[in-house]
Parts: sequence; C-alpha cells; structure tokens
Amino acid sequence: MSAHRIIAAALMLCLAVPSFAQVDLAGRVAAYKQRVQLIEDQDAIENLQATYGYYFDKGLWDQAAALFTRTGRFEYGQRGVYVGPARIQKAMLLFGPQGLAAGHLNTHMMLQPYIVVAKDGKTATARWQGMMMLSKPGANGVWGVGLTNADYVKEAGIWKISSLHFYVTAQTDYDLGFTKSALPVEGPSALFPPDNPPTVQYRSFPGAYIPPFNFDHPVTGKPLKDIPEPVDTVTGRGAK
Amino acid sequence: MTRQAFIAALLLGAAPAFAQTAEQKLDALDTRITRLEDTNQIERLQRLYGYFVDKGQWTQLSELFADDATLEIGGKGLFVGKKRVLEYMQTAFGPDGAREGGLANHMQFQPIADVSTDGKTGWIRSRAWVMSSGGWGLPLYEDEFVKENGTWKFKRESGPFTMYSSWEGWGKNALNNTWPDKFNPAPDLPPSTIYLTYPAYYIIPFHYPNPVTGKVFMPETDEVGAYAAPPGTPLQEKWRKTGRLVNGSQPIYTPPKD
Repeated sequence: MSAHRIIAAALMLCLAVPSFAQVDLAGRVAAYKQRVQLIEDQDAIENLQATYGYYFDKGLWDQAAALFTRTGRFEYGQRGVYVGPARIQKAMLLFGPQGLAAGHLNTHMMLQPYIVVAKDGKTATARWQGMMMLSKPGANGVWGVGLTNADYVKEAGIWKISSLHFYVTAQTDYDLGFTKSALPVEGPSALFPPDNPPTVQYRSFPGAYIPPFNFDHPVTGKPLKDIPEPVDTVTGRGAK
Repeated sequence: MTRQAFIAALLLGAAPAFAQTAEQKLDALDTRITRLEDTNQIERLQRLYGYFVDKGQWTQLSELFADDATLEIGGKGLFVGKKRVLEYMQTAFGPDGAREGGLANHMQFQPIADVSTDGKTGWIRSRAWVMSSGGWGLPLYEDEFVKENGTWKFKRESGPFTMYSSWEGWGKNALNNTWPDKFNPAPDLPPSTIYLTYPAYYIIPFHYPNPVTGKVFMPETDEVGAYAAPPGTPLQEKWRKTGRLVNGSQPIYTPPKD
C-alpha cells in the first residue's frame, strides 16, 4: 500500500466516522452564515442611507434618485409622493439645481439608525434622525430636524430604497431659534406636482406629530405602530 | 511501526482532534458573532431610548429597563426600579405623548458599546445632542445593560450633563445642573456624584480602557472643576476644587479584557 493510498483510506475513515458531527457542523455553519449575513445587510443599509444623505446634501439628484427601486417612493415633509427614479430626480430639483449653487446649504444628516432586517434578508425598515443645516441664496440660515422612515429591498444582491419618507419635525431661523421662530413645511409643488398627495397631514413644530414607529418594541415584542398621535388643534387629529 | 502505518495512525489520530478543533473554531465564531449582535443590540437600545424621549413615550421607554434598573440623569439623583423610572418621567415631564409647542429631541450619537466576556453584561458610552424648544443640551451616557432570557435591557442609566443653554447660545447662557428637589418627584437615592455643568467641567469615568495603550484613564477623583482661568491663579484654584466627586454608590466597571 502506497502512502497515498493509506492517506486516502485514512481520510475516508475520518469523513465516515463522525457523520453526526459533520451534519451538526454544517448546520452550525449555515446558521452562522445567516447571522453574519443579517449583520452585513444592516451595514449595507446603513451605508446606503448615509450615501443617500451625502448625495442629497450636495444636490447630486441623479445619484440620489438612482438609489431607489423602479417603483421607489420619495416623500419629503408635506410635498407629496413621487414614484420612480426619474420622477424623484425631477422632484429633487425643487430643493435646488443639480449640484446646487452658491449660497445653498442642503445638509440633511443621516444619524441614529434603527435598522431591522427581515429574517429572510430580502427587505428591511429603518428609522433615522436627521439634523438639517439649510440655506438658500437671499435667505437666512435654517436649523432643522426631522425623522426618516425608510423601507429597503434587496434586488439581485443589492440593497435599494423602496420607500423614503422624511418627516420634517421642526425648522427655525438660525439667529432666532425655536423660542422665537418656527418655520412651516412646504406643501405640494404647483410647478412639479407629486404623483400622490401626502400620505399624512401633519404640521411641524409648534405642531406635534409622531411619525409611526415602523418596528416592534425590542423588549416587549409588541408593535409600536399604534402609539397614539398627539392632539393637533389645526387638523383635528387626535382630538376626542 | 512502519513509516506508512505511522502516517495512517497519525492521520486517524488527528481526525477526531481535527473535528474537535472545528467545533472549537465554530464555538469561537459563535462567540464573535454573538458579540457583534450584542453590541449592535445595545446601540439600538440606546438609540431607541432617544427616539422615545423625543416623543414623550415614557411607558415604552420604561419597558427598555430591567425591573431592578436604576436611572440617574443630571444632578437629580437615582431612581430605582422600572416603575420608578416611569413615575419619574411621567411626573417630571408630563403624561405619555408629544405636545404642541414642545420639542425635546434627544438625538443619540457616537456609541461605544462593549460586552463582558460571559456575554451577560454590556456597557455603552454615548452622547445625546439635545435640540429643544428651550435650547441646546449635551448629556453624556455611561450606561450598563443586562441580558435577561436573551433580551438586552437597561440595567443602569447614568446620564450626567455636560452643557445646557437657552437659544441665546452657550456663549451667553448656561443652565445649572439639576438637583434632587429642583422638580418632582424626589429621587430614591441622592446623586452618586456631585458635579457642575458647563462652564464647569466633569468627566464621567470611562467603562473601557484606552484602546491603544490599554490603560484605564481615570479622571481626577478628588477635584473636578472648570478651566476658567490660567493655571495657578486663585480663580482657577477655586474652580478646580468645585464639584467634588463623592464616593459613588454606582461604580463604573471596566469590562474584563479577553
């Protein structure tokens, strides 16, 4: 018997003997692979949304719109819903020219992500905190803050935005602050009307509104989407 | 033993050892993946805490805490137990829900999460950036978490304030730290630490060592104060001694190193 044949025989024995262990090991590897995949997916989504923010900040509307799925939805404040990358790209021109221009500041920070990837790894949702530092030519600077609720879908291995809803929470004149100034959100554009009206009527500060929590409570496991909305004396929402 | 038999014996002998090694490797992998999941979950809890504060969701917020958890914010003192956490929030800040004319964003940034070797205890150092209808604020956090039946919860929240100011801005305005009877309810225990906020100066101990030197950075424990004047001047000496640490009833642990 040659050394090669002995080695071959020995290897066969090795493989044959611990068959239970082999199955168990394969199962463990598969389970770990899935857990790592979910972490990688969350990381990819974090990068996707951050990238969207970097594009949006600088008026790179073509780049930002390309992150959406074919039927992706974009809704900003009370401006209504635009559907599909081509319409979204055009709608973004309402924030300034492609690439922006002198005097524009369009910073929308993408912070504090709470990302939930579906167990099957095909879809995900997230909530983001968004500080805003804004300026337009001829106007004073603006401080703002808002929340993003987004949905994502994995198409051919690539995560894309299937829905992005940015709720402007509050905006104020840079020099005055919220004690003295509350700037309202803009409604649907007459120049380039949305494909659908706003999905919800709300006012930014001093109005109070809770953008729905799009995930379950991590400790109780109960849904958070039914948290009662505060009373709004203008829209009448929440009033008994 | 012939050389060939020796090789075969070696291979056969090695086989179970190899399988065992694979199991051990998988165990180690499991530990590493679990650690990533755990630190991720701890970061998420801290972020969600902030989202609940933003909208006055005190009941949901209190559900993030273990039954015997403690909470200490600013100079208000300690609240012991999940029920007291809820009572504190609802008494001090009103019933659940957001209200017209109110903005209380406590944005949660810059988390550094760690987990103990046994995977049962976690820590985070992180900050909140407060943008509110009243002005600006900068709380820090050194929080502890516990994994109960596979679910992470707040075990201790320690949130000392760095700075609070009105919309006049911190160049012109600074609010004092809070204190136990500044507003209701009264705390269950006095503050673990006495300190002053900006323009005075306090460093809550880090739960982890310097990641490069490996050494634990210990802030001065007998004197903390403001950098208010050139070193050595009488004014600076006075400020340096302002805000002494008392012996904390809630020590900050350094997690064991692997």
